[in-house]
Amino acid sequence: MPAPPGFRELTDASGFAAANGPWFERVEKGRVIRAFRPGPQHGNALGIVHGGMLAAFLDSAMGTTVWHALERRAVTVRLTIDYLGPGRIGDWLMAEGEVVGHDEHMVQVRGRLYGPRHDVLAGLGVFSLLSGHRNLKSRS
Amino acid sequence: MQNDDPPAGFLKIDFARGQAEPTFNTHIGNLYAKRGAKGTRDEFVMGFRVHPHMCNPAGGLHGGMMMTVADLVGGMGAGTLAGIRKFLPTVNMTFDFVAPARAGDWVEGRCEVVRATRSLLFSHIYLTVGEEKILRASSICKIPSGDGLAFGKAKLERRPESTDERPPT
Repeated sequence: MPAPPGFRELTDASGFAAANGPWFERVEKGRVIRAFRPGPQHGNALGIVHGGMLAAFLDSAMGTTVWHALERRAVTVRLTIDYLGPGRIGDWLMAEGEVVGHDEHMVQVRGRLYGPRHDVLAGLGVFSLLSGHRNLKSRS
Repeated sequence: MQNDDPPAGFLKIDFARGQAEPTFNTHIGNLYAKRGAKGTRDEFVMGFRVHPHMCNPAGGLHGGMMMTVADLVGGMGAGTLAGIRKFLPTVNMTFDFVAPARAGDWVEGRCEVVRATRSLLFSHIYLTVGEEKILRASSICKIPSGDGLAFGKAKLERRPESTDERPPT
């Protein structure tokens, strides 16, 4: 099934993101949405999407939100996730973040992962900003 | 074939149980567990070797992999220690990423059951490389009423058949 309009595939993924992709992204008016379509390889014993995969994906979306809002790379220091409902295999799952506060070193981000019918994850993260001149590759 | 070289006492976890399509637990790489004698609940350690496909672009172990394993330790591990033989859906997880891990590291995950109520299981989880802690997590799982949801239970490969696995010592 093709990605909905406006989403482009993140083709420079490597390692974990490449092994568990493809992941997609849409940028609109300063807002960035990441999405993927889970397959059987993302499932758990119950046939729904594994909590670890959902956590990884929401984390990536929240991290990219920091980049878009502040143009600084950041690493996750703390992530709290509430599992609200099951993620269904085959659904188009989307995740996005919102910067709720920051200073020179730390950023607080609220995150949300949702499918076509309901919210799946609610997240709250603390990210540590990397110094501006450090040119780290995007964590896609 | 990747060489995991698990330390003595670790057995590979067979999540697939003969199913054709691998699930996420199989897809991310080989996971191992060290447990006490079959049927006992006194020990649970999960372990895995860090390979490049588990890493981020900076070359460190990807946070998603750490969270996945911590989530599993919070369900399988804490369930084992609490003597609950059901699928325990995760309700909340909090992760603190305290240190990185590198390709080639052997990562272990342990948990402590904080409290098991009738419907909830609270646990603490640490992932470590050697003596160093790399992740601290706090987990809350739902304990389903009745028998819980039906699923194919993962099983330890107590007698490895393939030749690339070390026999238990």
